Amino acid sequence: MNQTTLEIKNMTKNYKSETVLNELSFQLQQGEILSIVGPSGSGKTTLLRVLAGLEEPTNGSIFMYGEEITKQKANKRDISLVFQQPLLFPHMTVMENIVYGAKISKKYKKEKTDALLTAIGMGKYQDHFPSEISGGQQQRTALARAMATEPEVILFDEPFSSLDPSLRQDLRYWVRNFLVKQKTTAIFVTHDMEEAMIMGDKIAVFTEGQFQQIGKAKTLQESPANLLVASFMGGNLILSEEEYISLQEITLSPPTDRKADRIYEATLLHVTYQHARPIAHLHIHSLDEKVSLPLQHEDELQENVTIYIPDSEVRRFHEEGR
Amino acid sequence: MRSRKISFSIIACVFFVFPMILLLLQSVSSPWRFQSEDGFTWQWTSYQKLLQDPMLWEATLTSIVIGYAVLVINFIIGLFTGKALVSSPYKGKAWVEAILLSPILLPVLAIAMGLHLLMIRIGLADTLIGVILLHLVPTVPYSIKIFYNGYNQTGPAMMEQSNILGAGFWTQIFTVELPLLRPAIRSLTFLTIVISLSQYAITAIIGGGRILTLPLVFFPYMENANTSLMAAFSIWFAVIPVTMYIVIELLILLLPYSRLPWRNHR
Repeated sequence: MNQTTLEIKNMTKNYKSETVLNELSFQLQQGEILSIVGPSGSGKTTLLRVLAGLEEPTNGSIFMYGEEITKQKANKRDISLVFQQPLLFPHMTVMENIVYGAKISKKYKKEKTDALLTAIGMGKYQDHFPSEISGGQQQRTALARAMATEPEVILFDEPFSSLDPSLRQDLRYWVRNFLVKQKTTAIFVTHDMEEAMIMGDKIAVFTEGQFQQIGKAKTLQESPANLLVASFMGGNLILSEEEYISLQEITLSPPTDRKADRIYEATLLHVTYQHARPIAHLHIHSLDEKVSLPLQHEDELQENVTIYIPDSEVRRFHEEGR
Repeated sequence: MRSRKISFSIIACVFFVFPMILLLLQSVSSPWRFQSEDGFTWQWTSYQKLLQDPMLWEATLTSIVIGYAVLVINFIIGLFTGKALVSSPYKGKAWVEAILLSPILLPVLAIAMGLHLLMIRIGLADTLIGVILLHLVPTVPYSIKIFYNGYNQTGPAMMEQSNILGAGFWTQIFTVELPLLRPAIRSLTFLTIVISLSQYAITAIIGGGRILTLPLVFFPYMENANTSLMAAFSIWFAVIPVTMYIVIELLILLLPYSRLPWRNHR
């Protein structure tokens, strides 16, 4: 059985009257990768900063392998944090940056660092300064620097957000494979659901200072605990505080095989193309919701459309899934 | 670009190189007046006279000791205050900064006269420590401002990054902060040494004539009609801060991750 690496109990963080983390509790097993998704400003970064020791929680405790580390200073914790920006030390070369933490934590081994340098494809640039390499190379160096200290837990705070999409895709898989190979426990914070699904074994939807639901991507998609999760996951139309329907079940013409119990009027806002298919962006007046529906035929397009919802496919939120 | 270079060279020559050459020439020649129709006569007597003055050596040594002491104290106060100002998130930071800078607004002479009474009471009048403490008044506000700006430029995130990688307080200072604050250290060195070396009135008040620094010896020389001697003294006065600065520059080279010639692999 896997050991619990990190355990957080009833953690609260207040900034004056605002509660950013509200009685948060969760566990991470050794080698587990948890993706945390949530809208900007929801407190995801604060959570990572508290875990890393850069900020103190107002209440609650953090345990690592059963030992309390809540009061331990950031430099004494076996936790590394990769920031949104590479933050390489400008006066050090790529190699010096990578070995910096490893030397301080007395984990420096030349072979390991060389292997890491090769793995990030920066061998040729080891004597270059950060100002002489590209943004992607800088972020790769920053990742290698965090990994060189061989921490028990690595926290990632949207590390790919400043990179271009193709580079982002490559790095996602590289980091994921590296973490799996090293059996490193990790928390990966992002606001991009696709990234969260690629990086994490499990996904936690974080809003209003709490985890709204933690689970596999499939569970979150098929059985969202509440409307916050459903709206964040996308792919659903929220009908009320208790009900939702998968966009797949909605049709723009009366279904032939079953009865459409609910009919809504909508306005076509825009048409975009994704994976070579037209997508209609609609505004449903009575629900005041915007949805994006894939179209079968472009000739379905009209300014005012009617959408059909069969009652049999309407689902209720699974609060027990939280 | 080229025209800029040319204008820079012209300005540098007119305002810096030419006066320096004149000063240098005057120091090694007999007093010379424009249109006096006297020829140029080489001589070393001005330097001989200057270097024979026992007060010059004492004053030079005292000035260097005071200059470095003021620099070290300024460095410590400026570094930690600047760091605290940048890393502590509290309201009213602008007020604290303004208060820390306020001594610049008060005439140093007024502060010196006020402090003189206190110095007499606590036995620091006419002492080296007294003079060093007073030289802090016109320098500390600048050093705080210099380091505050330096830390602001580096940003708190860079310090957090080194902290996350395991660096403790001092490791962080020596491996990340000081190397990145090199320009600030250079500015501070220049400013502190120049300000400290040029204090006449406050050194005279607190030192009571017992603490002899270069300006105290320099001003009486000004009554001297011998311009060659004056030029020699001026050169001496200029060489001291430059030498002091070079020493600091060599010390900066000892900081970790300095690009010493033998450390460059590329």
